[in-house]
Amino acid sequence: MKVTVTRENFQRGLSAVAATIPTRTTLPVLSNILVETLEDGLRVRGTDLDISVSVQTAAAVERQGAITVPAKKVADIARELPDAPVQFESEGGRAVLVCGNSRFRLNTLPSEEYPSFPDVPFEEGWKLRGGELQTLSAHTSFAVSGEETRPVLNGVLWQVRGEEMRMVATNGHRLAKMGLQLGVGAGEEDLIVPPKALQQVERLFDAGDELEIGRSESHLGFRTARTEVYTRLIEGPYPNYEQVLPKSHDKECVADRGELTAAIKRMAIIASDQTHRVRLSFGPEKLALAVQTPDLGEAEDEIPIAYEGGPIEIGFNAQYLLEVLRYVGTDEVKVSLSAPERPATFEPVGGDQDYVCLVMPLRLME
Amino acid sequence: MTRRIHILPDHVANQIAAGEVVERPASAVKELVENSLDARAGLIEIDLQSGGKTQLRVADDGHGMVRDDALLAIDRHATSKIKDDKDLRKIRSLGFRGEALPAIAAVSRFELETAPAEGGEGTRIKIEGGRVVAVDEIARRPGTTVTVRSLFFNVPARAKFLRSSAAETRAASEATIQLALANLSTAFRLKSNERELLDLPRSAELAARVGSIWGDELAATLIPIDYASDGIRVAGLIQRPADTRPGSRRVYLFVNGRPFVDRFVVRAAEEGYRTTVPHGYKPALFLYLEVPLEEVDVNVHPTKAEVRFRNKIKTEATVTEAVRSGLEGLESAPSLGRHEASFQLVSRGPATGAPRPRPESGAASQIALFVPGDAPPGLPVEGEDTEVAAPMARPGAMWQLHDSYILAETRSGLIIVDQHSAHERVLFERIMQDYDEGGTASQRLLFPLTIRLSPTEAQAVEELQGILKQIGFELEGFGSNTVIIHAVPNPHPHFDAERCFREMVAELAHGSPLVDSARNQHERVAKSFACKAAIKAGQPLSGLEMAELFDRLFASELPGHDVHGRPTILRLSLDELERRFGRT
Repeated sequence: MKVTVTRENFQRGLSAVAATIPTRTTLPVLSNILVETLEDGLRVRGTDLDISVSVQTAAAVERQGAITVPAKKVADIARELPDAPVQFESEGGRAVLVCGNSRFRLNTLPSEEYPSFPDVPFEEGWKLRGGELQTLSAHTSFAVSGEETRPVLNGVLWQVRGEEMRMVATNGHRLAKMGLQLGVGAGEEDLIVPPKALQQVERLFDAGDELEIGRSESHLGFRTARTEVYTRLIEGPYPNYEQVLPKSHDKECVADRGELTAAIKRMAIIASDQTHRVRLSFGPEKLALAVQTPDLGEAEDEIPIAYEGGPIEIGFNAQYLLEVLRYVGTDEVKVSLSAPERPATFEPVGGDQDYVCLVMPLRLME
Repeated sequence: MTRRIHILPDHVANQIAAGEVVERPASAVKELVENSLDARAGLIEIDLQSGGKTQLRVADDGHGMVRDDALLAIDRHATSKIKDDKDLRKIRSLGFRGEALPAIAAVSRFELETAPAEGGEGTRIKIEGGRVVAVDEIARRPGTTVTVRSLFFNVPARAKFLRSSAAETRAASEATIQLALANLSTAFRLKSNERELLDLPRSAELAARVGSIWGDELAATLIPIDYASDGIRVAGLIQRPADTRPGSRRVYLFVNGRPFVDRFVVRAAEEGYRTTVPHGYKPALFLYLEVPLEEVDVNVHPTKAEVRFRNKIKTEATVTEAVRSGLEGLESAPSLGRHEASFQLVSRGPATGAPRPRPESGAASQIALFVPGDAPPGLPVEGEDTEVAAPMARPGAMWQLHDSYILAETRSGLIIVDQHSAHERVLFERIMQDYDEGGTASQRLLFPLTIRLSPTEAQAVEELQGILKQIGFELEGFGSNTVIIHAVPNPHPHFDAERCFREMVAELAHGSPLVDSARNQHERVAKSFACKAAIKAGQPLSGLEMAELFDRLFASELPGHDVHGRPTILRLSLDELERRFGRT
């Protein structure tokens, strides 16, 4: 193969792909990227076998072909090259890269060894704006579990229900759920997607891009004309989250999100490193916050709230509260409660987002 | 009518008393060496023939005696060491009854040669079976030499009970060792049938003396302790938990410089080792107690092996605390290569002064360990030998090896921490503390866990339900061996509650060396939980997580030891590195 490409396009293509390259791998070819010529351009591919990314860029093709090169080295080179056209060619099993007066000859691995990309039937899929996908994923991905024994909880549940679309994530202690109404129908799907893949999607597509989305038995694909992202899907039944969403509550509080966040942050300083437990006492007009950590000391705080319902005292992991408050985007937040051992829900006030976060309480000691 | 009651002649009374004081050659050696020590000898030479049965000789270079004193010394209850009964309550010297020399002389062919250090004539007194047969003026160097031949020649009943020469030699050697451990500034030499058994030069440090008695291998397993509280001071050497073994070990106890035996004190010391050594493992102990003279009664037993403490409970508690404080430091963790055990033996005398200030747990004690890369100026820097933990001001100086071990730079080298063991210690202490405070916080679950158990397990869970709740597991329903878990503890972000619960219940139901060594059900559950809930080997940790684990480990009471009796920390000193790289 032999192509000429602008330095800018070359670098952009490489950096898009480089993020998927595993740092440590038992399969040497995975630390390489695959560079292939197209009719009138270049395609760069990288994969860690779970997530695969492919990016096309314009290039002048002199000789067709494909080659694999060490991803990290080539990305580093591209960054340091002078602003001049880059000539890239394969020559007797090596890759030769010329830009201005700089010449590099790199060892390669045979392109046939590079893993093939998943075959996803996009024509049976649906379409979605990049921005919509980002909104869903950004509000839910944070809540996935980091613990590896229940793999389904490591993923984000993506439910497609005709014109409605929903993402849910939970680690069993807290849960985030966001819904979105689409203008168009999109069939019916339940997918469990690794959050890392959603991050790649957020990173590689613009809000205005119209994405084609398709799935195969085990994979999910996202693509625009130039960029493709594929991910392995997590298998297994997702826990029945709808069953744990509270159907009713008898206590409701509206608080200033900034004030509440600041007060919890202050309490979190004294809260135990291990449980991060903070005690909230809701009452008419005010919310009292308190922490006690035996080795360290105590702290109390108070903020004004609008409150309806009987007084209640309930404990939470401060870290979970802060996370949830970060993603509820409105100035005010609505907190609904029923009992000290039942979940609390957090929802935005105003705005039109269909968003709810659930936090399970910590048992309080007397 | 003849009188039935009459006073025994002195030599008969002495023979009877001798039976108490002198049971065998070793007790004669002990009495004579103690006299030499009281005479401030710099070198004491002991010479045995046939285990001391045919002859034993103790020679010293102490202050010696003039003729009149020497004659008085062989009289019963003649002593230079106490004058009246008030002194009896404040005994500082080793011998005090004034019965040793006459007692020995009463049952042997006895020869005492002495010359005073101030100069002047020497004296030789020969006694056979208690009767003085000769008193001569001789010329000799200052000091005293006592030769005892044919011990028990006139008490055949006693002579018959003497053991083999080898056994008697061992006993005499043991008596010498005991005194040598208490008197570092005196050199000792012990010969048996012209063969040298012990050659102990004066030593500045106890570890050196232990080394010259048993070899440096044992000395290297010992760590110094020095702790004082409420007028009682406990110093000495104790064995690193990782070096303890099951079975016999060396235990030497001293109070105000005097050897004694007391199984309660030993037990108190072992109490200090709780949770740091495997079940049945016994540490070597060299403990030196200093208590105010009026607080201890040494006049309990003729051979003075036992003493009585006025405040037994306080004394034992101080011993436990002293051992524990020794195990708190990094010194108690095993190291790669040589240990530099060092210990200055405390001078004899009553304990004085205030208790050693114990570092507060937490921030205050976390200053000196790690290289203070950007520590604010003016912070007190502790001495090289008292390494304690530091805040993780430099997470960069920490690495995780194979997702299982954490390597960190310290002031004097580096330490390797076993992340699982370390977290085990942290969790165990946390839980034990939580019990006192009414239990731990427990995270309610969105999706309760349903777990099937074996009948034995279900029964164990039912019995332990209250304790399990205290550590954070809220359970419901015992129908058909199934439990539903509604809330779980959350000790770290990688915690797998279901797996932890299953493993823990299996261990509690069927037992294991770990839980079977626990003192009560609460400790049983705490140990099992600590072991099953701790971060596993193979778990990658972020820099922040490592830093947090370190902070918590070094804020714990016994950071160097997990709950199985394994070390959590291995040390590698710069000295050792330099030695290995041939830089020294």
